[in-house]
Amino acid sequence: MRIAFLFVVLAGAVYYTSVAFLDLSFLSRTGRLGPGFFPRIVGVAAIAMTIWVIVDALREGRAPDDESSTWGDVLMLMALAVAYAVLLRLFGGLIATVIYLGLTLSLLNRGHHRQNAVLSIAIPGAVYLLFDRLLNANMPPALFDMPF
Amino acid sequence: MDIFGDLLMGLSVAITPINILYLLAGAMVGMIVGVIPGFGPSAGLAILLPMTFGMDPIGAIMMLAAIYYGAMYGGTITSILLNTPGESATVASTFDGFPLAKKGRAGPALVMQAVASFVGGTVGVIMITVLAPLFAQVSRSFGPPEYFLLALMGMLTLIVMIGQHWKLGLISAMIGFALGTVGVDLETGQGRYTFGSAELIGGIYFIPIAIGLFGLGELFYAFYKGLHKTGTGGIVQYDKEERFWPTAKDWISTRWTMARHSVLGFVVGVIPGAGATIASLMAYSTERSISKTPEKFGKGEMAGLVAPETANNAASSGAMIPLLTLGIPGSASTAVLLAAFLLWGLRPGPLFMEQNPELAWGLIASMYLGNMALLAISIFAIPLFVQLIKVPYRVLGPTVVVICTLGTFSVNASFVETYLMFAAGIIGFFMRLYGFSPAALVLALVLGPLAEEALRQTLTISRGSFMIFVERPASLWIIGVTIALLVLLPLLNQVGKSAGQAEKAGS
Repeated sequence: MRIAFLFVVLAGAVYYTSVAFLDLSFLSRTGRLGPGFFPRIVGVAAIAMTIWVIVDALREGRAPDDESSTWGDVLMLMALAVAYAVLLRLFGGLIATVIYLGLTLSLLNRGHHRQNAVLSIAIPGAVYLLFDRLLNANMPPALFDMPF
Repeated sequence: MDIFGDLLMGLSVAITPINILYLLAGAMVGMIVGVIPGFGPSAGLAILLPMTFGMDPIGAIMMLAAIYYGAMYGGTITSILLNTPGESATVASTFDGFPLAKKGRAGPALVMQAVASFVGGTVGVIMITVLAPLFAQVSRSFGPPEYFLLALMGMLTLIVMIGQHWKLGLISAMIGFALGTVGVDLETGQGRYTFGSAELIGGIYFIPIAIGLFGLGELFYAFYKGLHKTGTGGIVQYDKEERFWPTAKDWISTRWTMARHSVLGFVVGVIPGAGATIASLMAYSTERSISKTPEKFGKGEMAGLVAPETANNAASSGAMIPLLTLGIPGSASTAVLLAAFLLWGLRPGPLFMEQNPELAWGLIASMYLGNMALLAISIFAIPLFVQLIKVPYRVLGPTVVVICTLGTFSVNASFVETYLMFAAGIIGFFMRLYGFSPAALVLALVLGPLAEEALRQTLTISRGSFMIFVERPASLWIIGVTIALLVLLPLLNQVGKSAGQAEKAGS
């Protein structure tokens, strides 16, 4: 997994550097240092360092994968966070937060149905009061008109 | 005006009912952030930064600074009662803090850590008061070459302090620099990496990245470490102890410990990249080596708790010096603070104290008040924080996701930034997992545009010659200090690490 992540970083660095060399000029029209100057330095350094680290990692051999039982929980939390992002766009801040918390707590805090129900209502309510009323901050609007 | 007059002026700015309210709220929130395992000041600052947008700049900066140094107070409560540090800067406080609690001395340990934090924090602020104007005066002669070198020094020292994973730290910094180049090039007006998106013309906004990396990324990592599965059954019941307040012997035996480590912590804090964690570990190691009873360390020695607590709070004050006088943050937390300053249209640097005396001295004066408030809060609100520790992580986690998400959206009402925050959270988790440094990324994201601008200006002045860096005395001084730090910091790092390892082996 670690090596795969390093290859993703390398791919990003290669793409970043190619844009720096192909699309961004090293010097401006007036002969000063142009927009491509700094990105080229950063890109080349990033590629060189990442290749160095990948070579080190390959030399060390394949590290045993962590069989931590918490991987499932982390991936679930990430998936729920992404789902929350989608829900926000559809239903707006308040409703999406109620749905997200109801779902997440029922999966993480199993067996505490009453507590989960109370928290799924109370936390969004408190957050709504804090952001929308007290701080007068923006809350995500719903894609469709909601009755409240 | 003399320093005393400036400070009085600062006090008159800070002491208004609304500013005091913001200060108390910041101190309280900082303590709460410190108490939650896995969350440090940088996460707290990033998550709560958007909530300050409706405030006036002075109140907002005072509140954010209070969150920053308040987190140092809060992190120790779990170190003492649960043997779980709230953040890395309070790891050293577990060495003697938890043994003290197990010996039935949790109450005195909690009070002494609050007093030590207060002494460290207050001595730190006194040293800021005296030294910040001097630093500002020296740095007034600095030009673009010096600013580029200072930014480079900040990055290099942070990477050196990462230790064995320095290569990954360097790659993290490159990612931060790369993200910092997104947007329109201010000199030529050409778009860079915008891919035709109007949202990216202004560059990648700092807040979603910082909230994603420090808020969501740390949360995912805490879940990976299984924090949501561990209960709080091992928490020491301090309220059942016979004696809550420390004895006269506790005060007398640690008075010089506090004095020594206030100064040591402050000096380490001023060095970019070193920070509160190294300061606390060094203080513990130093205190044990000069103690007449080193064998008692690790078994519940009060000086073993007081030394790191004094040092980490003094260090967090020390880190404000390069931020205020040079505009160069030395850590992830101060990088978030710098971003806050920039968001308010304020540019810390040599002229900051001269051009914004009310804000600069108001902030410094508020730190005196903040430390007093934190002393009271951290002694009398202990039952409240104990209740907070008992909230299970599996409930706290989803709530943090909600606050991070809505906080990010509230800044610019942008769904793109919210999605960016989620992406940064997932990337931040993998970075933490595989030894990369989210702190280096954030620091580079803040310093990158400053460094690029300074370097391009420098090379324009010198007509492309890099010799300018060795022709100017100020630049030469900075190069000399950077080389000295690059040699010395690994040694300091080693001292701190060996203290931690020795303690682990002993326990």
